Amino acid sequence: MSFTQQKEDREIEEALVKDFQAGNLDAYDKIAELYQKKIYALSFNLVRNQMDAQDVAQEVLLTLFRKIHTFQGKSAFSSWVYRITLNASYMKLRSKKKEPNISIDELLPSFNGAGFQQEKIQDWSENTESLMFTNETREVINKAVGLLPEKEKVVFLLRDVEGLSTEKVSEILDLTIPAVKSRLHRARLFLRKKLSGYFEEYNSQKGEI
Amino acid sequence: MICCKECIDLLYDYIEGLLDQDTSKSLEEHFEECPPCIAFLNTYKSTTTICRDTLNQIEIPDEVRLTLQSFLKAQKDQQDKK
Repeated sequence: MSFTQQKEDREIEEALVKDFQAGNLDAYDKIAELYQKKIYALSFNLVRNQMDAQDVAQEVLLTLFRKIHTFQGKSAFSSWVYRITLNASYMKLRSKKKEPNISIDELLPSFNGAGFQQEKIQDWSENTESLMFTNETREVINKAVGLLPEKEKVVFLLRDVEGLSTEKVSEILDLTIPAVKSRLHRARLFLRKKLSGYFEEYNSQKGEI
Repeated sequence: MICCKECIDLLYDYIEGLLDQDTSKSLEEHFEECPPCIAFLNTYKSTTTICRDTLNQIEIPDEVRLTLQSFLKAQKDQQDKK
């Protein structure tokens, strides 16, 4: 998306928000239409099932409707929507039984005294194409992301999946830029390690044929 | 000379193009001598791409869309009555 396009989109959105704040319900419809996929996708990636994601989306739309007058425009409207979505998703998760978190550190790379990598690293990056979009791969990826600790997961979802800028993520989560970077890096290392097992096995099977 | 540990610590900034020229050059020198770190770099990048492509496929199911639509309508009707 070009810069001008982004600017136009933002202006349209700001105008919609103003109209809605002034009581125009059509503006609310448009805002809901603009955001409902983002809201649903983010909450689905956090709560991991359709019913709960639907509840969260409903909750968020209701909050937008009821609380729009409290939005003061100090941060971007989208940041506000993302924050409400995250809070509602966390509330949903808290109401469920919690699965024990696994430690991220165990899955980070390890080095010997001289600073060399201790494990054998295979390059499976060229061979992901044929596996992409199979159900099994999707499941492996979803499971790996599901295992990420919450702090790292949310940064990963906003920055890498949603494609927001580091600055925007830091605004939404109220984190410093270095904190966003470090969490994202840890999330990627964790996921790389998790996916390596799967793709390496596939590579070695292919080698045997 | 950069070691593998430093190399992996720098990966994020390297991919984002945030390293200064000197650091970037020493990192590339390390890559030339260290195939495992190249493999690491490639798979690190792939990880982001495949996770994004997979998780971005989420669409709102039709029944959820319909539920949300009628929910919104109910909210507005209530508002109109006030």
